Formats: sequence, structure tokens, C-alpha cells
Amino acid sequence: MNLRTHVAITAGTFVSFVSRTFRLGAGATWPGEVALRIQPRILRYLSKDAKHVILVAGTNGKTTTVKMIKTILGNNAVSNTSGANLDNGLISTFIRYPNAGYYIFEVDEATLPNVLKDLTPEIIVLTNLFRDQLDRYGEVDTIAEKWLVALGGIERQTNVIVNADDPHLAFIGSKITGKVKYFGLEDPSLFLPKMQHATDTIYCPNCGARLTFAGVYYSHLGKWACGNCSFTPPKEDVTAADFTSPLEGVYNTYNTLAAALTAQTLGINKADVREALTHFTPAFGRMETIVVNDKRIKILLSKNPTGYNESLRTVAASVDKGPVMLVLNDRIPDGRDISWIWDVDFEAYRNFPKYYVSGDRSLDIALRLKYAGIQPTVVADIPDENMLWILPTYSAMLEIRKKLTGRKIL
Amino acid sequence: MNITIGWLYPELMSTYGDRGNIFVFIKRSEWRHIKTSVVRIEFKTTDKEIESCDLIFGGGAQDRQQGILIDDLRERKGPVLKKMFGRGIPGLFVCGAPQLLGHYYMTGDGEKLEGLGIFDMVTKHFGKKKPRCIGNTIGKLPDGKTIVGFENHGGRTYLGNGVKPFATIIKGCGNNGEDGTEGAVYKNCIATYSHGPFLPKNPHIADQLISKALEIKYQKKIPLKPLDDSLEWQAHKAILQRFT
Repeated sequence: MNLRTHVAITAGTFVSFVSRTFRLGAGATWPGEVALRIQPRILRYLSKDAKHVILVAGTNGKTTTVKMIKTILGNNAVSNTSGANLDNGLISTFIRYPNAGYYIFEVDEATLPNVLKDLTPEIIVLTNLFRDQLDRYGEVDTIAEKWLVALGGIERQTNVIVNADDPHLAFIGSKITGKVKYFGLEDPSLFLPKMQHATDTIYCPNCGARLTFAGVYYSHLGKWACGNCSFTPPKEDVTAADFTSPLEGVYNTYNTLAAALTAQTLGINKADVREALTHFTPAFGRMETIVVNDKRIKILLSKNPTGYNESLRTVAASVDKGPVMLVLNDRIPDGRDISWIWDVDFEAYRNFPKYYVSGDRSLDIALRLKYAGIQPTVVADIPDENMLWILPTYSAMLEIRKKLTGRKIL
Repeated sequence: MNITIGWLYPELMSTYGDRGNIFVFIKRSEWRHIKTSVVRIEFKTTDKEIESCDLIFGGGAQDRQQGILIDDLRERKGPVLKKMFGRGIPGLFVCGAPQLLGHYYMTGDGEKLEGLGIFDMVTKHFGKKKPRCIGNTIGKLPDGKTIVGFENHGGRTYLGNGVKPFATIIKGCGNNGEDGTEGAVYKNCIATYSHGPFLPKNPHIADQLISKALEIKYQKKIPLKPLDDSLEWQAHKAILQRFT
């Protein structure tokens, strides 16, 4: 280790220590940021001796999947703070926990290719690719192309775990020369009655012809086929018949299968995975229940059309009945552009007892609902209800949790 | 009374909640007891089906999607659309759609992609030399009213004499960030760099297009019943206040 690297680690460790000692709440990213500025290749040195590094990337489900894997692996596993998923977040985790057995990281879609230049993971999990914050990430195809290049050059020892129901990810999987395993639902009872509007990959990533779908689970995830070229869906290694999700929502079944296949790849047997999952508790704001003065609030982070549709579907299917509060912010972590709310299928959910709207763009979401035939109430604060569903964007979720629990999480 | 709305490639030209505009056409017509139907203009759609439309809408496509549809649009849909717009059929084109309707689009690599040539304008992409235009926009119409939107484009568009600018840009980049113009108007067709759901917060433009569609179809001016647009204008004004 050269002097520069040594100084970087020492400085990062110091910032990490100070941040925790004085509860500055910046420990998730700042130690890494400081180390990175001193030694830009710091991730390479820090990850060199770590045997088990697992990366989880994709548009939706990263945080929950990471938490599920961590739950299965137990005390010996550490992960980055939810949302601290750029390189500085990964580095901060290495600095904070230099001797962990397993490092499980959620990685930002746009950051994954860069991280792979410095680090050879044991496993990479690819959850899904949907349009999300186009003002920041660009188009789905742009991300997919960058992934294809990055994963094409991956070391053969790395296992790549891929969602077979996402045609674009399956395409990336088919181009990887190393070890690839697939998960998929294989459960026609979960098919939607018809295709949703918010889809991205419905044209063949290989030849450009329109894909046909025997059924869709949501967005473009489903039983797909190309009638024009030789690109065919891969055979799954695990399906919904193998594991039960500890959380409501079809999307959580995907997260469960991704986590379970990761655990199996690490040599953990099926029975132990199933047992561990029964102890799972949701991550911040991801189907999390908060009880304040006997009043129950369920929070479902909803930050892009596909995630939003799945949140609404989960609320409709739940035994918990209550009004729904939509909180729409347009800050940097949410994306400045809120156009996507018109791709959400509110028209299918006119029958909830009541809608509240709030946030920086409460008028925009109220207008969206008006054209869906719904009359919401605009509120500045969390309304007093015995049972309330809240669907917030990212910064709104942090604000609401802070209000409800009185503490900051990032 | 009824109008038929033609929606260009709904699967491929839908990137930023573009269908919000279709919802607005439908609802604002229905609220006035004007029946609506939507023709999804796709690869298999015939000239006759396209000609049955009284109003055309085109949204934004991602690069790959644009590549899939451009030949079909130019060769099989272009001639009939050109004829329709020539006789006054109104249209709204948001985001990247106007780039396809101009004479050409010059990519960052210097490749010249031929457009439909309906709007007298050209678009150039300067590659990495010029940053993308991303953010909330406000424009002023010739009649003094405002429009609000959100833009996200890499190309810069330059208007010829055959079109008029749609608006003067007050906040944002507009067509090219140089001449203060935003969008273009050709006969009853409007092109704007505002993307996605442009009409919800601009109900005056929505009504202008519906009104034109009825006028051309029924060959007489048909006054539109006023609606309660207080929420629309509240949302419009919130943008004006926040970004000026």
C-alpha cells in the first residue's frame, strides 16, 4: 500500500469516527468522499482482500433485496446505507467495517460500470430496468448499453444473477461468458389482465421486433418471446414456487427470489434461506409500518411509474384498508421532472376510500388525479387517520419518516 | 358531436408521461359532451384510418425507439399527414417529435437524418460541445398568455420562414438557447420542446386544439363551453411563481 492510499484510509477512518462520535449523520458517504478525493482508486485497495462482495443493481428493489440477503447471511454481513449507493457509499462501508465477512452493496445504475473497474464482486444481482429519473439517468437503453459493456468484461469467477422476466436483462445475461443464473416468477396466477402503459422493453433487445407476451406480471416483466429471431427466454434456476416472500407485493416476490438465489449461490441451503426470510423486517419506507399513538401508517416508497403502479396494486390487494396519501417532491433525489406521474395508472384505483396529496408538486399530482376522475384533498401535513397508506417520492419519504419517528436516517 | 384523436406510435413515442395530453383531449371533450375516439397510429395503420383523425398527437421517443419507427413514419405515414396538416388538421408535437417533422436532424456525429419536412426547421446536435437543456420552462405566447413545461433535449432547433415561433422563451432554453424562440407553429400544428404532459397545465392550448379540430371537421366555429379550470391555473401559476 502506498502512502497516498494509506493517508486516504486514515482520513476516511477519522471522518467516519468523528461523524459517529458527534452523530453528524454524514457517515454514509463522507468518509468515502474524503478518501476518494485523496486516492481516486481507493475502492481497488479496500476491496482487494474482501472475499465476499455482492453488488445489487437495478431500478427498483435494490434496498429490499440487499436487506433480505443481509438477513439471510446474519451478523457477519454489512451493507451500505440505503440510498448511499454511489462509490463514496461503498467506500464508506469498507472504511467503517474493514473486516466484515460479507459486503452487500446496492449500486446506483449509472455507477455500476465505474465500480466494476475497481472491484471484482463474487456476485452481481440485476433486478430490473425501468424508466426512472430520465433527467438524471437518461434512457433505459443507455443504461443497458453501459451495463452490457461493463459486464462483458467481467471476471469469470463472478456469478451474475439475472431477472429472466426482464427481456433486456436476459439479453445482457445471454452476452456474459461467465456464470449466469436466472430467477423468474413462472406463476400465471400473477399475470395482469392487460399490459400496463408504463413499459420500456417491449421490443426485442436483439433484433428490434415487437416481443409477444403470454402474460405480464408488471411493466415489461413477464413471459416474453421474440417471434423474429433466435433470442429466447432463459431457463430459471429459482421461481416463485421455491420461496415465499415475507412482504406483500409482487415486486417483493422478485426481491425474495433474487436474494434467495444469491444465498444459494453462496452455498446456503434452501431450508435455511426459507427460515431466515421469516425473520425479515422491511427497509426504511419500503412497505414499512410505523405506529404512532395507535394509528398505523404504511409507507411505500414510490418514485417511478412502475414502482408506483405496483404500490397501488399492493394497497388495493392488502387487507389493510385506509385512505391513500400521495406525496410528490421534485428535489434532486426525486428527479426534477415529474412528468412520469401521467404514466401511472391511477384510473384503475378510483375506489380507495380517500386520496390526500402533498409535497412540492401537490398541485401537479392533484391535477393528474382530476383527469383520472379522482378528487383528492391537498394537505400540508400527515392527516389524522387510524390507518393510512403513504406513497412518497424519495425525499418525501425521508421527511415523513423524520416527522413520524423523530430521527434522521440519512 | 365527436372528434377522433390520432396518436402517433403510442408504444414507441411515450417517454415522459406523454399520454397525459391524450387524457386531456379526451376529458376536456367529454366534459363538454363531445364524444372522442382514439386511433393508435402504428405500423399497420392505413392511410384511411389516419385520414379519419381530426387531431394528431406525437410524443417523445427514446433513440432506439425512434430508430425502430422513423422509416415507417417518413415513408408510409408522412405523405398523408403532410396533406392533412396542409388542409388545417391541428396537431401537437412535444419533446423529440418536432425534430422528426423538420427538414433534418443532424446527430452529434454529423450524420444527417432526413425528417418529414412538414415544419420549415432544422435540428442540430452539437455533441458534447453543448450541454443538454434540462429543466422547467416558461414561455410567452404572441397574445401575452403564458405556457409552462419541462424540457430535456440535446438537439438545437432553428426555424425557417415557413413557420412562426410558438412562444418566446422566458425561462429555459427553448429551441436553441440563442434566439429566444420556443417551438414552432405551422398552420394549426404546434411543436414544442416541452415534453410529456404539456396540456394539463396549459388548458388554453388544449382548448385551442380541440376547437380547431371541431372547426375543420364541422366547417364552422363551435364555441367551447367553459370549464372549471381553477386547479389547472393554480398549478400553472405555481410554476410561474416558482421559476420567475
